[in-house]
Amino acid sequence: MEMKKSISKRRIGVIFTLISLCSIVLTYEYYKIEQRDSTFIAIEIISIIIFIVSFMLTFINTGLWKFIHKPLKNLDEREIALTSKSLRYAYAIFTVVTLMLLLYFAVTFTPLDVVLVAALILFAHLLPASIIAWTEKVI
Amino acid sequence: MEGRKIYNRIAILRKEKSITRKELADKIGVNFQTIGYLEREEYNPSLDLAFRISDLFKLPVDLIFSTEPLTPLSQLLTK
Repeated sequence: MEMKKSISKRRIGVIFTLISLCSIVLTYEYYKIEQRDSTFIAIEIISIIIFIVSFMLTFINTGLWKFIHKPLKNLDEREIALTSKSLRYAYAIFTVVTLMLLLYFAVTFTPLDVVLVAALILFAHLLPASIIAWTEKVI
Repeated sequence: MEGRKIYNRIAILRKEKSITRKELADKIGVNFQTIGYLEREEYNPSLDLAFRISDLFKLPVDLIFSTEPLTPLSQLLTK
């Protein structure tokens, strides 16, 4: 891991990444259902740009993304403990968020669409790294 | 469950041996950042890692690690 950023900067990066991911999905949903306005396209493009930039700065440049996807045999005991903890939290958060969303879609008879599912896949991959970025003081 | 804090003399012993964190990490088979965590006493090593460290410095485990704040080795020697 080569995480030199301060915890506050990493936390801001995580917030921007997750909010922009939500924004991508919500804007797409509004664009599809409500009105096909060019403002929504502009918001969607801005959200995608913010997502890419914050993702690169928070997860790629810091080495977090590479770290969380390392095979177990390449980790030492502290790193195994750290990834296990982050995966445990990520599993709990992802399960609750996904099941709540599924419940909402089931209750409202709304069909799931590809953007939401893709965002959820991305969210599942982002969560463990986000938890490490959020909790680790010095790395 | 939050464990007890384990104090250690890794930083001083490493400096005495004039080896870098990276060299120490390679010798005991961990990432060099883990050495930083150990030296700052932010991570309690497993028994296996503690023995690897004590083997490397050729000192008993209880001289390197303690559950009580450690007194400097120089003070121990003058006693």
